[in-house]
Amino acid sequence: MTTTPETIDTEALRVTALDADASSRLPGWFVILWRNGKCRVGMLMLAAFIVIAVLAPVIAPYGPRLDEFGASEGPSAAHWLGTTARGEDVFSQLIYGARTSLIVGLVAGVLSTLIAMAVGLTAGYLRGVVDEVLSFFINLGLVVPVLPLMIVLAGYAPVKGLGLIIIVITVTGWAYGARIKRAQIITLRTRDYITAAKFAGDSTARIIAFEIVPNMISLIVVGFMGAALGAIGAEAGLAFLGLGDPQTVSWGTMLNQASLGGALTTGQWAWLVAPGLALALLITSFTLMNFGIDALSNPHLRED
Amino acid sequence: MALLEVRDLSVTYSPRDSAAVRAVDRVSFEVHDGEFVGLLGESGCGKSTLGNAVLRLLDRPAAITGGTIRFDGQDVTTTPEDDLRSLRWVDLSTVFQSSMNSLNPVITVRRQFADTFEAHSDALGNDLDVDARATELLEMVSLDRSVLSRFPHELSGGMKQRVALALALALEPRFVLLDEPTTGLDVVVQRDILDRLRVLQARLGFAVLFISHDLGTVMELADRVMVMYAGEIVEDQPAAEMVTRHLHPYSAGLLGSYADPRDQVVEVEFIPGRPPDLSQPHAGCLFQPRCPVAVDACRTVHPELLPASLGQVRCLLVEQSGDARVVLEKAAELRRRDQVFAAGLSERADAEPVLVVDGVSKVYKTRRGLNTTLTQAVDDVSFALRPGQVTALVGQSGSGKTTIARILTGVERPTAGSVRFKDEPVDHLGRGALRKYRRHVQLVFQDPFSALNPTRTVAYALSRPLRNHLGLTGAEARARAAELLETVGLSPADQYLDKLPHQLSGGQRQRVVIARALAPEPEVVVADEPISMLDVSIRAEIIALLDQLVRDRGIAMLYITHDLLSARLLADEVMVLNQGVMVERGPTLDVIAEAKDPYTRKLLAAIPRPGARDIA
Amino acid sequence: MLYFVRRAGFFLATLWAAVTLNFLIPRLQPGDPAQAMLNRLQGETTAVNPAQLEAIRKLLGTPDGNLLSQYWDYLGAICTGHFGVSYSYFPYTVTAMISSALPWTLILVGVTQMLSFAIGTLLGAWAAYRRNSRVDSVITLGSTFVGTLPFFWLALLLIFVFAITLNWFPDGGGYGGGSSPSWTWLFVSDAFQHSVLPAVALLITGPIGWIIGMRNNMVQTLGEDYARLARAKGLPRRRIALTYGARIAILPNVTGFAIALGSLLGGTVLVETIFNYPGLGRLLLEAVSNKDYPLMQALFLFTTIGVLTANFLADVTYGFLDPRVRRAEAV
Repeated sequence: MTTTPETIDTEALRVTALDADASSRLPGWFVILWRNGKCRVGMLMLAAFIVIAVLAPVIAPYGPRLDEFGASEGPSAAHWLGTTARGEDVFSQLIYGARTSLIVGLVAGVLSTLIAMAVGLTAGYLRGVVDEVLSFFINLGLVVPVLPLMIVLAGYAPVKGLGLIIIVITVTGWAYGARIKRAQIITLRTRDYITAAKFAGDSTARIIAFEIVPNMISLIVVGFMGAALGAIGAEAGLAFLGLGDPQTVSWGTMLNQASLGGALTTGQWAWLVAPGLALALLITSFTLMNFGIDALSNPHLRED
Repeated sequence: MALLEVRDLSVTYSPRDSAAVRAVDRVSFEVHDGEFVGLLGESGCGKSTLGNAVLRLLDRPAAITGGTIRFDGQDVTTTPEDDLRSLRWVDLSTVFQSSMNSLNPVITVRRQFADTFEAHSDALGNDLDVDARATELLEMVSLDRSVLSRFPHELSGGMKQRVALALALALEPRFVLLDEPTTGLDVVVQRDILDRLRVLQARLGFAVLFISHDLGTVMELADRVMVMYAGEIVEDQPAAEMVTRHLHPYSAGLLGSYADPRDQVVEVEFIPGRPPDLSQPHAGCLFQPRCPVAVDACRTVHPELLPASLGQVRCLLVEQSGDARVVLEKAAELRRRDQVFAAGLSERADAEPVLVVDGVSKVYKTRRGLNTTLTQAVDDVSFALRPGQVTALVGQSGSGKTTIARILTGVERPTAGSVRFKDEPVDHLGRGALRKYRRHVQLVFQDPFSALNPTRTVAYALSRPLRNHLGLTGAEARARAAELLETVGLSPADQYLDKLPHQLSGGQRQRVVIARALAPEPEVVVADEPISMLDVSIRAEIIALLDQLVRDRGIAMLYITHDLLSARLLADEVMVLNQGVMVERGPTLDVIAEAKDPYTRKLLAAIPRPGARDIA
Repeated sequence: MLYFVRRAGFFLATLWAAVTLNFLIPRLQPGDPAQAMLNRLQGETTAVNPAQLEAIRKLLGTPDGNLLSQYWDYLGAICTGHFGVSYSYFPYTVTAMISSALPWTLILVGVTQMLSFAIGTLLGAWAAYRRNSRVDSVITLGSTFVGTLPFFWLALLLIFVFAITLNWFPDGGGYGGGSSPSWTWLFVSDAFQHSVLPAVALLITGPIGWIIGMRNNMVQTLGEDYARLARAKGLPRRRIALTYGARIAILPNVTGFAIALGSLLGGTVLVETIFNYPGLGRLLLEAVSNKDYPLMQALFLFTTIGVLTANFLADVTYGFLDPRVRRAEAV
């Protein structure tokens, strides 16, 4: 995973995007990301995952929970990756699992980015007591051990399900993004053009929305990708620990059932390897895209 | 044999994602033992790159792509880093531009000295007493030995710069490269350090290459001055010669942008246009597009640096005419028509004041743990601004200038005293009233690069005040925005309306900032150092624009500056601020000619006098 | 000084916030976790001691009585160390369960995290020192690649390959079936053997964040004016890399270490579950699956306090390492 430097030149990146905007029909941010080789590969990989998730019923040969096949079979022509201990087709589960990961990544990513923006922007722009209080919560959110908190929250919940997992991930995952956005807005709000906007008679809400946020777009995108990545990993982890809904088909539950169902001892390596590899590839696509954004916004990291 | 001999040196920046730029192009010069050479040029002309190349400190994507550097006869152009080490600092040291960041933040000043001595223990021997030697060096730059145990963040900017200078002299080098060593420091501190430097140079006899854009300083300090433009040296003359009998039209333009505010008649000129794009090939003289006396041949023939007068010059006209002075006199005459701004006085000196500041004070409370410190930023200041007049507020950073501007514009509330705009008190306005008040009071900012939102077009920036203060929208607002751009000299306006700030030059941006301030048709404009971040060659342009706007539109202007020259050019009245107290106030000419306050005199004394050394 | 006072203040405030969070979580749940807990304890064969029932009420909530007095009772119970009995390990107390699991986690996580930090920082510094060389690309690309592999999946593969297929190491547990914890050579070497795979699992992915962070920081510090001036001064390259590059670049990593501690614990839960390792993480998961609320609450509180304390220590260390923070008020 790439670390995001805390003070990146998000203004410059936005300007490059606007320039690219003018020269092409596609949105500017897309054009610059596309120009970066690593980033392009990442975007193509992610697009492939999205296509697989959307077309899962078409691609998957069987229903993911159809358990009428022989139990714990090795790979065969009928079952490319073998069958589970309950007699389900592993390959079909793998295809449907992409849906869960992407939905969790998207929804939890969006929700925690929204919380991070609300908290970070408010704290950074208003400063003073509001900032002190919000910063305390941000720091608290950063130091509290996240997974144990997730586990405890999930443990108390009477019903297990994807919704719960998304809520738990969102509640525990917004702090890092909020911290970075707060730091960025603190540097941006002292710019003369903010003072100029005040003198031009613009309201605070308008200043934040039209003067500050456009200069933070790259940071928000990076933040969203980080949050989505974290959410995908967390869902897999929680599901692997058996804290998710066992009826949801996800790569995490697949690994959980593989490890409980004796894949380790029966030598069903395909059942064990495939979900992890899929997860690794999805994470790789995000990482490659992050590389592109990082390199663009931080001139020190550009290869020359 | 010269100490430093540079022959046909070229440096090229080859970034991965854009075209290669020839930042330094076949530059040749020499620096002799004990000589003080100035290198003058606008930002982006390649002077710092040249300095870094001489020090062999270029980092990718910049690299030496041709020529040689000889130091004391030894070719060091391609010497490997490890072999270079014995030469570094022992023979050739440096002080960087803005030493804010050139000292290691996590080790004490003592360690920074010890580091240096350790690295050269073979040349110095091991029995050197670091403390004693460092103390001696610090005393040379008027610093106390207690500085040794401090960390860089505990020192002021001026102190850091002195430490950097002491460090540069630590091994008694034969050559010191100074790259804008005092930029960003207060004028009085600057003066102090430079005086010290000259004394030390005379005493220790090291040679200096002094890189700066500050014309007055270079002319006063240097024995010989080289002028650089677009990666080339265009003129190289003894300092006294450069002041009085420079030959290149660019040198003439640069020197014309400087004047001594103490003179009877003060005139400055500017060079229109901007430097060429060095990633493109150019056939003729690089200065030709901006040159007032260029002839047809200049467009096709690239001139060489040839001997002329007591030095060298790169100009076809000088090359061709036997008597170079004739050419320059003609040039001066041509420039005089539209590129000169002369200090003058307003005719409306007795108009009714529009803004009255009465006994204003501001005290800041800072709380650190349990202690509360009170800082008196402004102490009982009174003045008035009149329409069509410019009042200059002069002082160092930290003198309270900016606080006064903030109080005037309603950003800050005074602790005591009052501010009245047309008899309405405006010092404790609520949110809504403040917005209405700002229709009448606008700001021009210091840094044109930070004053415009990089993601918003010029049209957007201008449309906001038009909409909020005047209620103009759509096509109406756009038409008015175009008018404003024409007013500030950005014509035709259509070319600029849809540009983003980074597509404009610094001077153009500053014009947009001024246009935006004019948009709501304000009665009062506060200009906070509006030219200090601009290149010298275009400063006069902006001064002339401000002057014209004030006189034509009857605007009352508060002009905040640390620079007495621009105050002399623009202001009808000058106020001098020192540590929040107004120490002197009066008509500009009187204050500058007959300063009464010791602080004002100190400020005046800090102004460089080109050629002064030769007279003295 | 002010820095240390502020950090201590933050430590106390977060401590209070964590304790309060721990108080609120069971009380915000639908239903009455305390009652559910008591009902199940009633079904046990051994009689439950009334004092222990009282403790559970204090910790998990009472249906009646106002929140404020409950909070007061709760704080009292925590300060006197009364965490009640564990449901799943009845009649052991929660405190007993935690103290038997604590050393396992402390040693495993402590050692691997220190090692991860050291290895990661060194590799990162090396990559930055040899920027744009082959060493740099191997380190950067290699760690990026390994970083994308899901950690618990790697752990499963380790068991699959080294324990089950090659049979080099035991496939789980903290020590062999026959022995019981004691300070004998036999037991210690047995425990060590059991800890190799979990430690390797933690060490494969552990250093990656530090490698990338350190490399990027150091590339930046080596590009600063002070590093260039050091070069102009003729300092040896290695010296510049250490005193002017690494020394400054490591500072953000120390703060990063403090912040990362919280998420490091997450890895522990996974690794201990996979390897069936008798530490706090596995205990927490067991408590959750058995709905053993008293144990769960106490474990969460313990881990949080542990993380906050470690975080505070890292902050203090940072203060000593960075003079800009430590001496900001000195002049």
